[in-house]
This record gives sequence, structure tokens and C-alpha cells, in this order.
Amino acid sequence: MNRVAFSSWNGKIVDNRKGGGAKAKEVKPLNLDGIAYRALMGWNGVILADPKADVPALAVAYLKEARKLSCGECAVCMIGIDRVLAILEGPEGGKITPADLDEIEAIAKNVALTAKCNFGRGAAMTPVADAVRHFRKEFLAAGKRAPAGGKTYGSAVTAPCMEACPAHLDVPGYIELIKNNRFRDSLDLIRRGCILPGVIGRACTHPCEAACVRNDIDAPVAIRLLKRAAADRDLAEGAGALPGPKEEKKERIAVIGAGPAGLSAAYNLRRLGYEVTVFEALPKAGGMAAVGIPDYRLPKDILNHEIDLIKRTGVNIKLNTPVDKLDWSAFAEAGFAAVFLAVGAHVGTKIGCKGEDVEDGGVVQGAEFLRHVNLGRKIEPKKKVVIIGGGNVALDCARSCLRLGFEEVEIVYRRSRAEMPGSREEIEEALHEGVKITYLAAPVGIVRKGGKVTAVECVKMKLGEPDESGRRRPIPIEGSEFTVKTDMVIAATGQKPDLSLLSGKDKGSVATPWGTIKADAVSCSTQVPRIFAGGDCVSGPATLIEALEMGNRAARSIDAYLRGTTFPKDLSFEGIDLKEQRDKGFVQKTPAQTPPMLPVADRLKDFAEVEGGFNADEAVKEAGRCLRCYRLMVWE
Amino acid sequence: MITIKIDGRSVEAKEGTTVLENARALKIDIPTLCYHKDLSPFGACRLCTVEVKANGKWGLAASCQTVVSEGMEIRTDSEAVRESRRQAAALLYYRYPRTEAVREAARRCGVPVAEAETDGKDCILCGLCVRTCREVVGVSALRFIDRGLGRDVEEPRIEFLPDACIGCGSCAFVCPTGYVGMESLDGKRVIWNKVFKMAACNVCGRYFAPVEQLERISAMTGVPVSALMTCVSCR
Repeated sequence: MNRVAFSSWNGKIVDNRKGGGAKAKEVKPLNLDGIAYRALMGWNGVILADPKADVPALAVAYLKEARKLSCGECAVCMIGIDRVLAILEGPEGGKITPADLDEIEAIAKNVALTAKCNFGRGAAMTPVADAVRHFRKEFLAAGKRAPAGGKTYGSAVTAPCMEACPAHLDVPGYIELIKNNRFRDSLDLIRRGCILPGVIGRACTHPCEAACVRNDIDAPVAIRLLKRAAADRDLAEGAGALPGPKEEKKERIAVIGAGPAGLSAAYNLRRLGYEVTVFEALPKAGGMAAVGIPDYRLPKDILNHEIDLIKRTGVNIKLNTPVDKLDWSAFAEAGFAAVFLAVGAHVGTKIGCKGEDVEDGGVVQGAEFLRHVNLGRKIEPKKKVVIIGGGNVALDCARSCLRLGFEEVEIVYRRSRAEMPGSREEIEEALHEGVKITYLAAPVGIVRKGGKVTAVECVKMKLGEPDESGRRRPIPIEGSEFTVKTDMVIAATGQKPDLSLLSGKDKGSVATPWGTIKADAVSCSTQVPRIFAGGDCVSGPATLIEALEMGNRAARSIDAYLRGTTFPKDLSFEGIDLKEQRDKGFVQKTPAQTPPMLPVADRLKDFAEVEGGFNADEAVKEAGRCLRCYRLMVWE
Repeated sequence: MITIKIDGRSVEAKEGTTVLENARALKIDIPTLCYHKDLSPFGACRLCTVEVKANGKWGLAASCQTVVSEGMEIRTDSEAVRESRRQAAALLYYRYPRTEAVREAARRCGVPVAEAETDGKDCILCGLCVRTCREVVGVSALRFIDRGLGRDVEEPRIEFLPDACIGCGSCAFVCPTGYVGMESLDGKRVIWNKVFKMAACNVCGRYFAPVEQLERISAMTGVPVSALMTCVSCR
């Protein structure tokens, strides 16, 4: 279908039902992941691709789905849906009268204007009101108990925050459970898509909060800290066990790498009944969560507790067990039915300046530095350190150096603060703690005297046109060279995976030219049957939650492969503006709860956690700020 | 103090107070079912709707949850307000036709109410009991089971946690419909189907409080239970 027969999407009416001929408006139906629907009702309107679609029946199907989401806390939405369904279905059958339709319109209007949450104001009734207004004749002809005719309808639910979350966690759902003092239920819901809630509740980059509708009103809901509150409370109350497998399966699966992706795949495979062995090269499990993120952001007892829960379901983690060579036949001989490769990206990339390759300890890689700090290796603080880079690794190195006793810590970043990829909170906290950041400068050479690093030679940069990352490209300003005195340089300009385990014919088919592993972004399958891959070693350095989600998917994908079923892919809402909502209502501005922070003066003596969590009352209060922006779509 | 305008009258209002509190102080009649002055507002019944001017536009808002701000304009009796209250009351009456508190609210909002055959005592999900238990009693023995994505809840309801309940009866006291009942008989009190042993006053011998409530007070205050065994009248 190239154009709609009817659309009321976002309140814009396009009506081509009478053919329209040359006058027909060329408006394409909303693209919902390429689904060829005849008609669709969504939180923001009605769309008919086929003018003959049965709208009254679709309206009933829509309301039945809406009923499942209408929480019941405010009278108008919950009872309004039931009342409209009673009118449309009517236990005794009979006709639908014009007065019935007027009543539906009046109820729908009032629900949209006065419901307590954005589900009520938007999804609950908006398309039903549109349908009744523009398809009056059809409703009057249909009569009560609108003919469902054994039709099946597709349905989908999302929300701006859910869509922004790489793992598509049911954010309004777990927040609502906290609001209702059901912390344990909330944690169980979070764990369906995120098996490290205490870790993610501390160290997530929280794209959900950037998508929160409250940004346009006051401040986003503190979603990350609410997740942490659910995890912390469970731990404080003695920590319940994770659900284990319902039935055992005979296949064994090998997971290479005990980072977020590997742990997430391992647990989810175990839950499906597989026997899982995780091979970890380092003496600690957790991957970047263990050896990349410093303790002051993520205390290791939190991570270890969550890993322990996974182990208690029967996942076997072998530490200090690097896999030197990925040889499928060796795994097959050892009895494994599939391998999930999740080795992460732990090798620092070069800065690309003179003198960085001299191995005198004067120039170290950021990821390696953090690994040493996290594994408790002794690091002699120097007077001054310069860190090259602007991401979270650079900031973690800088803040760690302050805690290790370095006197002066300076970050040199080639673009301006606006382009800095590190998280806003981390940049702010680093500045509070005394880290100096020099923007628009890049190193050109490491200066040594008497075999020791004494300075970095830098050049000033200006910003040019945006590059492929969308950020403005830094351009050196000729003749602007200057030197920054330093005793040590940390290069935090990026990481890539260590792919030395790939060899022979597999290497060409599994590795990309840019040094990552080639795997399907959705199913995690590689070109080698039975070998799957995910996490940073596929995506390049990304976030914990992205790695966790790839682990979730890898588990489903491996299970589908071994069972010979189809891999269930998530529906994509790409291209649909989930923030659109016609009746936004009056929302009381309510300041967000803020967590206690360790005073700066107390922070630098050790690696104690800087940010505190919400107590139960604060969490319940913050959860009450959620506007519950569920977006529902039902189609035929 | 800030200045607000209610129904055309400019009045002083305390910062942080709600529209409902200010309207009631002016003796303006606003119906409510889920509001209690000692509890946090909940916004469940949608009967206290008023019109508020925000960003130059009039919009409907629950007055119990709307905090006043300098220069705020409020209408408590416009056609839009009356229609919205009538709609909310009609829906509540549709759902709970025999519950007297709802019938009374419906009458006040102009909804025709038929003669009831029997007196109903429905739970109208106003949340007064849940909030009282959490905010006043401090034990959180009641909580909502709401519907939501993937939750498979046919009807929302209140869940009772017997282990947390101390039998104080505050929920029964605050319940506007009589749904939360409480019965006392022979030194026993039954509430939410949990049976509590009552303590007898060591002076007059009257049963005056559940033992579990006295134990809770003792644990909170450090006063031994034995010192709490005298009823209020004999103290």
C-alpha cells in the first residue's frame, strides 16, 4: 500500500476512503517494522491501509489490550475502558445507538483530559475517540458484540524510555512496582532483561533518562537509581536466589569471557536448561565491570554478589583459563554444542604520536591501567599524569589517579566539552575532584629526558565539519604547538578486542578488517556454524547494558539454533516518534530525588563509593514521578 | 506567601500548599473520595478536578495534587470542571452502584442515582488504607496489585500482608466505603481475615488494643510492653 485510506495519526486527518482519485492525499501508512497491516490503532490515532478493514472490531481488540495496561489507580481510565467495552460488546447484543457513540466520545475525551498518567491521557482512549468520530456509520451498522470473526490481532507495547534502553527493559513497569512498595517484584522484572541490576543501577549510561518525557517538564525520573534501589534493597534483605532452569537439557555450551555479555548469555542459557561453562582469562569474573570500572563507581562486592547468584544457578565459571585458540573441533570433542564468544575489547589503541611505543612505563594504555588498579597491583603515584582521551575510560583513569596519590591530573582532549563522549556526571565529578581538562588539544609527541617521560608535545585544534560520528572533526592549528610537562602519559583513546585466539581459516570469516568479530547484530551468529559472538568484541567498546542485551539475545538465538526453531526478534519502532501525544494535560512540576554524595574532601583518600542510593521512602517517592508513558499499538 | 486567583478572587496562599487545601480554606465545595488531609495526595478519584491556567492555557488538573505557584489562576466551578467531575462520578457510580460513598459523590456531581436495593461495600481503590498503613502506621501491610504490561491481573486490588499487620484498625477507620471491616469478639479482633489477640487493660479489664500493636509500639519507643498494658481511659 502506497497511501493510507484513512489516518488520524497525531490528530492530522487524511481521508481517502471515497477513493479521492486525483485529490487523494499521498500519505504512506506509518511504518511499523515493515508489517503489512490492514488497519492499526495506536496511542496516537487510527490508520487504515485497507478501506474495508473492520474498525469497530479493531476498536474492541484495542480496548482489550488497553485494559491489560490500565493500572487501575485512577477511576476514569480503568472504569472508562470497561464502560466503553460494555457499550461496544453488550452482553445482550443489540444495536449501538447514536447516544451510545456520544457517550463513548464523552468518556474518551474526559479520560484524555483528566487521567492520572500518560497511558490514560494518550493510549487508553485516543484512537477509540478517533474511530468513533470518523467511523460512526460502521459502528452503528456493526451492532453490539462487534464481530471479531475469529480474527487475530497483533499488538505491541513500548514507551520512550523502553525504546531508548538497549535491553528494552519495562521501565514504567519496574518503576510502578517500586511505587507500590513491591521492590522484589520490581527486581524480578528488571532481571528478565538485565541480570546485573546492582551493577547497571550504578554504572549504566542510562539513555532511558535522556528519553524520559519528564525532561520537557522538570527533570527526568532517576531511572538508574531506582533500579539500584531495587537491587540494593534485595541485598539488604538477604538476597533471594535467581530462578534456575525449569528442566535440564542435555547440550553443553561454552562461553568465552565472563564479562557482561558472557554472564548474561550464560545465565539465560542456564535458565533454559543448558549446562554452561564460562572460560575467563583473568583471575576475576565481570569483564569490564570488574577490571574497567573503578570501585568508587562500582564497589566490587556488588558485582561479585550478582556473579555469585549466577554461579549458584549452576553456571560454571573457570577463572585464569584463557582460550588461546578458537578451534571448533576441540570444543566439539570436549562435548560442547555451541560456543558464545564474548572476549570484550581490552586492548588499548594507539594515540598515533611520536614516542608512544618506547616501553619504559612512561606511556601506558588506559584500559590496562584500570585493569592493574582493579586487580590490586601496586601503582607508584607520580607527581603529574596526562591522560589522552575524552571518554569514560579517560575519566576513570583520571579520577583513579587522584585517589592513588598523583598530585596533578590533566586530561587532554582534542574536541570541546560538548563533543566529549564521557558521561556528563563523570565529567562533572572529575572536575569537582580537581581533574584539569584541556580541550581542543592533541598530542603530537612524547618528550623524554634521560630515559624518562618529561612532557607531551601537543597541538591546538579547531573544530571543522561533522564527521561520520556526527561530531565536529578536530583540525590541527598549524604552528600552535605547546608542551605540557608530565611524568607519565595514559592513552585512553579507545580499545579493541584481542583476537589472537582466532587463527587459521576461521580468522578471515570471523574477524572484520577493523579488528572486531563479525557477527549478526541481532542473532549474534557468525559465519561459522555453532559459534556465536557478542558484546564489545563485536560492537567495539560500548556500554554494559548493550553487552548484557547481546548476551540475552545470544542465549535466545543459541537456543533457537539448537532446538531448530526460529529466533524471535524484537519488534522495531524505528522511525515512530514515541514522544508524540496529543493531550499532555497539566503535570505538576516535582523535583527529582537526589542521592547523597560523598563529600569531595572524603573521596580521594581511598576508592569508597561516591554516589549513595535512595532509601525505600525516597525510591517510592521518585517512582511516583513516572508518567507511565506506555504506547500501545494493535493491528489487523 | 504567594498570591493566587481562585474563581476570580485574589487570595494569599502558603507556598507548597495545594489548590484543594486553599479552595477548602475558602469554603469552596470540592468533592473528593481519595483525599485525606493527613496523607499524601493520590489522585485516584478524579473528582477534585479544577481548571488551572498553565502556560497561558486552561487545563484540567486534580486539585489535590496541584501545588500552588505565584500568580496561578484556578477555576473550581466552570462548565469544563463540572462536566469532568460528572464524568468521573458517573464512571464510579457505573462501577460501584450500591456503595453509599460513591452514590453520595455521584449525587453531588449531578449524576442521576437510582434507589439502591442493598447497601454495597465495594473497594473503590481509593488507596486511603494503603497510604494510612504506610504513612501513619508505618508498617506497610497493604499494597496495590495494579495491572500492567505482562502482569496478567484481571482486576486491580489491595493486597494484605498478614506478617506486617499489627491489627491497629486504622485502615478500617479510614476506609470510606466499609469495605475494610473490623470485628471484635471475646478478646479477639479480626481484620483482613487475620485474627489478633487483644490485650486487656490491667486496671479496668477492658480489651483495648491488639497485642501485636503494643509490641510494635514497645519496639519503636523502647517502653516495655508491660508498661503499655493500661488503656487510655485508665492511664
